[in-house]
Amino acid sequence: MNAYIRPTNLAEATKLRAKAGSKILCGGTDFYPALGTAQPQGTIIDLTRIAGLDGISVGPQEIRIGACTSWTKLIASPLPPAFDALKAAGREVGSIQIQNRATIGGNLCNASPAADGVPPLLALEAEVELASAEAMRRLALSDFILGNRRTALKSDEILTAIIVPQQRARGRASSTFAKLGARHYLVISIAMVAVNLVRGDDGSVADAKIAVGACSAVAQRLRALEADLLGKPVAAELGRSAEARHLADLSPIDDVRATGTYRRDAALLLVRRVIGECAKGASA
Amino acid sequence: MSKPLKIKLHVNGVARELVIEPRVTLLDALREHLNLTGSKKGCDQGQCGACTVHVDGERVLACLTLAAQVEGREITTVEGLTPDGAELHPVQAAFLKHDAFQCGYCTPGQIMSAVACIREGHASSDAEIREYMSGNLCRCGAYPHIVAAVREAREALS
Ligand SMILES: Cc1cc2nc3c(=O)[nH]c(=O)nc-3n(C[C@H](O)[C@H](O)[C@H](O)COP(=O)(O)OP(=O)(O)OC[C@H]3O[C@@H](n4cnc5c(N)ncnc54)[C@H](O)[C@@H]3O)c2cc1C
Ligand code: FES
Ligand code: FES
Repeated sequence: MNAYIRPTNLAEATKLRAKAGSKILCGGTDFYPALGTAQPQGTIIDLTRIAGLDGISVGPQEIRIGACTSWTKLIASPLPPAFDALKAAGREVGSIQIQNRATIGGNLCNASPAADGVPPLLALEAEVELASAEAMRRLALSDFILGNRRTALKSDEILTAIIVPQQRARGRASSTFAKLGARHYLVISIAMVAVNLVRGDDGSVADAKIAVGACSAVAQRLRALEADLLGKPVAAELGRSAEARHLADLSPIDDVRATGTYRRDAALLLVRRVIGECAKGASA
Repeated sequence: MSKPLKIKLHVNGVARELVIEPRVTLLDALREHLNLTGSKKGCDQGQCGACTVHVDGERVLACLTLAAQVEGREITTVEGLTPDGAELHPVQAAFLKHDAFQCGYCTPGQIMSAVACIREGHASSDAEIREYMSGNLCRCGAYPHIVAAVREAREALS
């Protein structure tokens, strides 16, 4: 590490970021473990003292989650039920000590296939806001995470916020998240599923968004299944509509945590269960 | 080696000045530079909770925090849980009473985590205590006694 800098406003941070060889530090809970025994290199820009990046604001058009918002703060924030899945995911990120410092922005930028924040935000069709010294741009989250630990973030950019249009959050949207790990707590996902349902006036599915994580390099929406759920009654049996063919596009790998075959099996079960639970929530 | 940084840390109510490389973690700063060895290094990668301290009253892992990141924040370690010479903190007393340790290596982290857990209101049942203390591993497996100690301390503190 050549230098450690703690800017207090975004303009200062993006100016520093424009120089070559900078690295961003937020909660540090992915940053340090990723280093292993190596020393950090280059200039470290610590974002944790930039006031505007931390916190959630609910506006008429959109809900804005600052990139440096900790999981603990998100879990404690009053948000519509469409965010229940994201909160549930946050409650399973490591331990409370981790959640107190780990940020949502860090979870997305780290782009692990097992990042628990990604499926709930895909199911919300969230966007990310990226700032450089020159410009601000927005991308759909699905266009931001490109692969295993690969994102569309440019070397001079900072992720400033995660944005969810109110349109996606309003109405009778209910959302549920579940993750499967080798034990109950403090565990990296073998598979995880987020479901977001909107119940129409006639009690049938008016809208469905389903995303599966840890079963492909980037978490994926199950669009064929989403389409098949439309018009079906919102009831606990809804989960049975999910079949193996709906998960055909996933590409689960064998690793230390599970085999690909097991992951595929478990993901289908989890999808069925989470849809059922979400439907129960939506009809209550 | 990068240029040393002069920083001021507020630890257990005392302002301490130190000159460190910017890459030094809070855990190493406490143990190696300030001689506060109560916080333990179990894994040095966020998985065991032995290094749990409070920053502005919140429990965090000192091994995943740069010392420079918490400049100006209020840091509390197990040494600062009670003022000098005072009686044991109710959580410490409950750990003794319930024999909530064997080797004791995880204990400072368990105690710091338990104090925060009770303060957060996350100790209302044994199941809740188990969930909210799950970031602190005990290789000796003293878990049942740890849960009993946290339960009793919660009652004593309420
Ligand atoms: C023991 C342990 C258990 C864990 N368990 C889980 C788990 O169950 N589920 C899970 O999903 N994750 C888990 N994690 C990973 C981690 O805690 C989360 O991904 C967390 O949300 C990362 O946030 P952070 O602020 O700590 O990121 P940091 O470590 O600060 O940053 C992560 C990466 O993102 C970059 N970055 C951060 N913020 C920005 C920004 N605003 N703009 C541009 N780049 C940025 C950094 O440069 C770095 O490369 C665990 C970690 C540990 C140590
Ligand atoms: S030493 Fe910090 S969590 Fe293990
Ligand atoms: S008492 Fe030995 S590790 Fe917990």
